Amino acid sequence: MAQRFRHDWPLLLMTLPAMAQLAVFFYWPSAWNIIAFMDYSPHRPFWENPLVGFAWFERLFNNPYFLPALLNTLKYSFANLLFLFPLSIVLALVMHSVVSTKVRSVFQSIVYLPYFFSWVLVVTVFVQTLGSDGLVSNWLLGFGGDRLSFMSNPDTFMFLAWLQWAWKDAGWGMIIFLAALASINPSLYEAAAVDGASRWRRMWHITLPGIRPVIVLLLILHIGGILTVGFEQYQLQRDAIGYQTTEVLDTFIYYRSVIGTEGASFGTAAGLFKGVIGLILVLIANNVAHRLGEQGIYQKS
Amino acid sequence: MATPSDGSIFRRRSLFKAAGLGAAGAAGLPFIAACSDIESGGGTSQTTEGFDFLPEYKEWPLPVEPDLVGEPPNHPSGFTTYPEPVPAIENLPSNSGTFEITVPMWGEAPSNDDPYFQAIAEASGGTTVNLRQADGNTFAETSVQWLNANEFGDGIMFFAWMLFAHPNFQETVVNSFYDLTDIVKGDISERWPLLAGLPTASWGQSVWSTDPNDPETARVFAIPGSFSGGSNNAMFARTDLLEEKGQALPTSVEELIEVARAVSDDANGRWAFGGLDYLTPSWFGLAGGDGWAYIDGKLVHNCERPEYTEWLEFRRLLWDEKLVHPDIPSGTLDGQALHKAGTIVFQLDGISWWQGFIDQSTAEGTGGTIAPLGALAAKGRKPLVHVNTSVDSWTFLNKDLSQEQVEEFLDFCNFASAPYGTTEYELINYGVEGTHFTYGPDGVPVFNEVGTTVVQAPVNHKTMSGHVQQFLSGAPDMVQARFEYNASLKEFAEVNIFEGMRVEGPADFKSAGQVLTDQQNDIAFGRAELSSIPDMVETWKTNGGETGREHYTAAYDKLHG
Repeated sequence: MAQRFRHDWPLLLMTLPAMAQLAVFFYWPSAWNIIAFMDYSPHRPFWENPLVGFAWFERLFNNPYFLPALLNTLKYSFANLLFLFPLSIVLALVMHSVVSTKVRSVFQSIVYLPYFFSWVLVVTVFVQTLGSDGLVSNWLLGFGGDRLSFMSNPDTFMFLAWLQWAWKDAGWGMIIFLAALASINPSLYEAAAVDGASRWRRMWHITLPGIRPVIVLLLILHIGGILTVGFEQYQLQRDAIGYQTTEVLDTFIYYRSVIGTEGASFGTAAGLFKGVIGLILVLIANNVAHRLGEQGIYQKS
Repeated sequence: MATPSDGSIFRRRSLFKAAGLGAAGAAGLPFIAACSDIESGGGTSQTTEGFDFLPEYKEWPLPVEPDLVGEPPNHPSGFTTYPEPVPAIENLPSNSGTFEITVPMWGEAPSNDDPYFQAIAEASGGTTVNLRQADGNTFAETSVQWLNANEFGDGIMFFAWMLFAHPNFQETVVNSFYDLTDIVKGDISERWPLLAGLPTASWGQSVWSTDPNDPETARVFAIPGSFSGGSNNAMFARTDLLEEKGQALPTSVEELIEVARAVSDDANGRWAFGGLDYLTPSWFGLAGGDGWAYIDGKLVHNCERPEYTEWLEFRRLLWDEKLVHPDIPSGTLDGQALHKAGTIVFQLDGISWWQGFIDQSTAEGTGGTIAPLGALAAKGRKPLVHVNTSVDSWTFLNKDLSQEQVEEFLDFCNFASAPYGTTEYELINYGVEGTHFTYGPDGVPVFNEVGTTVVQAPVNHKTMSGHVQQFLSGAPDMVQARFEYNASLKEFAEVNIFEGMRVEGPADFKSAGQVLTDQQNDIAFGRAELSSIPDMVETWKTNGGETGREHYTAAYDKLHG
């Protein structure tokens, strides 16, 4: 131990700024999770807030809107995992097979630039084109058709959300897989081609195994954040679609606690619940990954 | 794949175990330590009358008497002529302080650099009051966190209807705001004659108790705004557009639906309505305020009454027949702009939109005429009109101010309280002659475009403190029409069953109310069926409705014995 410390101290030193940053912006705020167990009021000294045990959690689980919000969160999260994650991989594979650098860079820019748009912009663009007074609606009216109700129809919101994810996020996921693809040794492809492997064989036996660690890593990270499906997308479309369809855990906390009347402790309890579930899921996913022979999220020395 | 070394403390399983143990330990600790109940957010109720520490009322003689004499409060008097303004303040204070006051703002906020604000600072005796303008639509909700963080500048202005959003406003008031009692107690007519001229009831409504159960702890925490009686909201019709279609102003809900059908044209982008969420319940006899009515010996909430279903049926009908702007559910439309453009024919708005429409359509040359719908009712019932039950607003000061600063700010409020017919009133309400307004042919000030964007904002220094008396004023024709409008409404005015008391509902009652609003919108916009109303009401009852009834019933019993 002492020898390793002598050996590695510059490395440890280099982690200090990051540790300090984490301490100020993560560990210190996290410590305040304790108010989830208190009848907290910002107007009295911290130690005078009475401890109430799990009373807030009880209230949280008894809240009739908590379970629907949780189910919505899981629904969107799994939909994202099932329908968007593979899309990114497919996009990356398509990109990877394009030889012309010119076509490639244009395609790449078009596909991943929307990632840098804010949700406000994404939703606005959708409203302007697909809204009931948008481009397509007015065009349809010109042909004697009807206005689209797509942007305010709760039944089709899942598809709408998927379109928005696909436009905004799929390209970004693609970039990460492209980086992984680039690290595959080209001589493997050449050798396989010489051995007479078809295009599909090469993809199955070289490309996919090559990016498997990255896929697993991203999957674990995604599972850890399974209760975090984003906030703005749902908040911005809440009024148009209705809360029953768009209420996810984050908006639930926002509307019930942050700007609602349930108080700070209630929101903290909900946030803590989210965090604990996320932690457990990451550990499980990581464990499974290790069992499957992957590196997972952390590695033992 | 490296084999994990056994010496590592970060072995998979042990980490897992350690995390589990830690979580269980952390969770168990407070459980062992205490297991008491949540007490915060239980709601409060307190009387707003009979205090002996309020400013002594000393009538402030008006420079001119109104030419339309009504019956205040629900039928206020008005001016159809514009008198030569006289100064209200004789001994101008000499101040130099700067304050920053957070206020709600609807529409585009004017810059604090405008000559209007400089002129006000000079005329008030040197006090600069900068406005920190925040979006009025979300002001009530977001202000909760500003107050918790003590980030609202030197003061903040609230309209009376905004308090619903706060989990425990009484606690916020007594902990965040300056206790004005010792400064304003007794005779203040020497230094602040106009503030001494504010009605005692207004000051009484600015009192909160540190401990709601102990009347001895009651203190003055706010500078009251004006008390303008009567209905504060109205459904405004574009009368010119109705005429075009050969329609008259509807006088009942049934007629309104007919007129709406006649004027709407979905394919060509014209709809009868924009927002319909407030005011419309009164057409069905539903209660104002927090929604309680005293029926057959007990308090009944709006949502438990059959009229509630009728109201939602009405809203749903309008939606299904495409008489409502299709994008209204998004909550992002500028209703006033749509009303000016004629895209929507009926605009639900504050009563100030009457004058606002005249000013803006004149300055912008868009034309059109509007008039409010009178007291409507369905099925031949007697109409009900929700009227104002308390002062319109309050200005609260930050508790960190010094006594000298508070006194200086009261100087400024004294200035802002000057009523109609004074030079102070003219400056605050119309701006500087030539820059913001010009006198019209009948001598009444008319805004130019700069005035419309800067001065005509619904909230600025003119709402910082109440006028000693509140009159109808503005374009003479409008004043005359509004005077008659108030006269026609006053017999239908709702009686406030909590007169003389401020009741703040428990937190879960408020929360259940917000959920109810969300569900109402679902039904009104076709996202849920009318048949779900009984379920909604059941949910509401079990999640705060019954707690609310207990709380309000206790307050009612205390008041009525």
